[in-house]
Amino acid sequence: MALREPAWRVTARELESALEEERGAGERAVSYLLSPFGARMNRVLVAGTLSPAEPIGRDESSGFWRARLSDPTGAIAVTAGSFQPRAMAQLRSAREPRPAIVVGKVHLYRGRDGVGYVSVRAEAVRSTSENEERAMLVDAVRQTLDRLDLLERLEKSPTTDETALRADGTPATWIRAARDALQRYPQVDRAAFRRELLPVVRRIAGESAPPPAGTPPTVTVTRAPPPRAAAPPPTAAERAEESVFLDLLDEIAEVSVDGYADLKEVLSRLETQGVVADRAESVLNRLEEEGVVEEPIVGKLRRA
Amino acid sequence: MTVSDTPEPLAETRLRALSVAKSPVEIIARVVQSERREVTRRSDGGRRPLLSGLLTDGTATVRFTWWDPPREGIERGTVLRAVGAEVREFRGRPELTFTWKTRVEPASPVELPRIAPEEFPLKSVRALAARDEGFRVRVRIVRVQAKPVTVGAERRVVHEGLIADATGTLPFSSWSDFQLSGGDAVQIVGGYLREFRGRPQLVLDDRATVTRIDADDLPEPAALLRALPRSIARAEDEGGGDALAIEGVVVGLLPPSGLVYRCPTCRRSVKSGICRVHGQVEGQPDLRARIVLDDGTGALTVNAGRADTERLWGVTLAEARARMRDEPDPSLLEEQLLEVLLGRRLRVRGPGSKDDFGVTITPESIEVVEIDLDAAASELSARLEGGR
Repeated sequence: MALREPAWRVTARELESALEEERGAGERAVSYLLSPFGARMNRVLVAGTLSPAEPIGRDESSGFWRARLSDPTGAIAVTAGSFQPRAMAQLRSAREPRPAIVVGKVHLYRGRDGVGYVSVRAEAVRSTSENEERAMLVDAVRQTLDRLDLLERLEKSPTTDETALRADGTPATWIRAARDALQRYPQVDRAAFRRELLPVVRRIAGESAPPPAGTPPTVTVTRAPPPRAAAPPPTAAERAEESVFLDLLDEIAEVSVDGYADLKEVLSRLETQGVVADRAESVLNRLEEEGVVEEPIVGKLRRA
Repeated sequence: MTVSDTPEPLAETRLRALSVAKSPVEIIARVVQSERREVTRRSDGGRRPLLSGLLTDGTATVRFTWWDPPREGIERGTVLRAVGAEVREFRGRPELTFTWKTRVEPASPVELPRIAPEEFPLKSVRALAARDEGFRVRVRIVRVQAKPVTVGAERRVVHEGLIADATGTLPFSSWSDFQLSGGDAVQIVGGYLREFRGRPQLVLDDRATVTRIDADDLPEPAALLRALPRSIARAEDEGGGDALAIEGVVVGLLPPSGLVYRCPTCRRSVKSGICRVHGQVEGQPDLRARIVLDDGTGALTVNAGRADTERLWGVTLAEARARMRDEPDPSLLEEQLLEVLLGRRLRVRGPGSKDDFGVTITPESIEVVEIDLDAAASELSARLEGGR
């Protein structure tokens, strides 16, 4: 029986930290993104400050738009394409950052080295009052805390009887997600994550202004499991490598049948120009991280 | 009627006690339903008539098959005595077969076994399942409402409502007027259960008896109707419920929502001027919202009618029709409705049933909920500080 997937109430931080994907098999398969904090998400409901949208790709007619939703814990990319015309119209309607809620499907694009790019493909978007946004954050924090408590409980006594938990009103899906999260993210600092919820509570209490709209939406948010040290800015030499990489990519893409540059071809051509494979990989990772290049099909590259 | 020359001296068996091991039996029971058919014999192609249907004696209802029944047919409600009826089993349930060896004759209703109410096993509401009968329950009438219905050409009144005991609730429909009103504590004997929209329902007819009782152990109707909201995941687990209370946020609308047209006869929605049952009709405009409500644990559908839709939307049917005249695109109206509803926090009460698409509530009340942000903030900050 295919019931409608619930919209998990999560913060941007939790979405950013979710890297374990579960792909369903068969027709109309549902895939899930498992967070370290016990959410097994297909659909989410997120609230925060939504930046004006920008088109993805070179021209506006590509029909794919991206905005950023920021809450006090972080920011997440929200996209909408022509398959979600209403959500796309909503994304495009604003010129200024505004409080908003977004219902949508989570989407993980996984680059090399376990770097994940999480975004929310919007199904519905609405500009809200600040109070409504704060009310949504109440749900997000409350349910996140419920899930964290469940994780603690299961970690302390892994054999806890499921019927006892169910009797308390804990949904079966939560128990399963919590067990999976404990198994697949054994090293996560939950206390640190818990502390990150504090600014959200302050925001609910009205003690802090909405978070800034953040960096321009063309930069895809990238996160490895938290906590993570910020990467040093690229050196001039690295920048030079990047431009060589991009020139080559454009050149190959120009003459290819499908408009994509074949990754193997790029790498072999780079090698002839003195950039060895592992250097090339790191350049590619950086470019993907910055949202300049994307790999929509495995082994096929293009400008984002 | 088939007559046997050598009637076997058998004691009358109650239907509840039928078993293949004790076949053949003598029974006395009332025909609840019967249908005449003909079966073609494979050997010579000859046709052989049979009557099949349901018999009850108040202790149980069983299927019967009557080979070569009387030509004049058997009226519903007739009480029959059958001597030498064979008991067979089909799918684990006993059935009766009347063959040429069986003597069947009309009997008087007074001959039906008179069973003292105490003889029926007392059951709790939770223990009742579809097709149960021959039991006794002690319950509170939570609510009851008379509803005129048309059965074939006949107009009748059915009393619909909800009963409850300490173990649970169950909807009922009564075809006789037992003068029930909300809050009554009653003992019911002689009802039976059927499945309606995937959920069991207690049916009472003129064979049921209802007696007022004194019962302090039964829940108060007000408490049941004002129960605190529970999670949608739980409503899904339990397959719906008769008095669901759910709190969630609107995350979407299902089509058709907004301005719809209904068949004037059956109120079904009309697609391009054609009713599924009544063909070409002049559709009557109506407002509805099929709301997807989500609380983070699950999602369900709330079928809001015109009054609720107008109140939540702030747009009346007349205004919606005016908008439709200006911009004849129903999906635009649905969009405007979603624009108002998306993210609204609603508390919904009413019965809910579950099918392949999940739980659907037919709301008795929909309230817009505002949460106290300051209280929530202090509660959450206490929880955060309490944690590690």
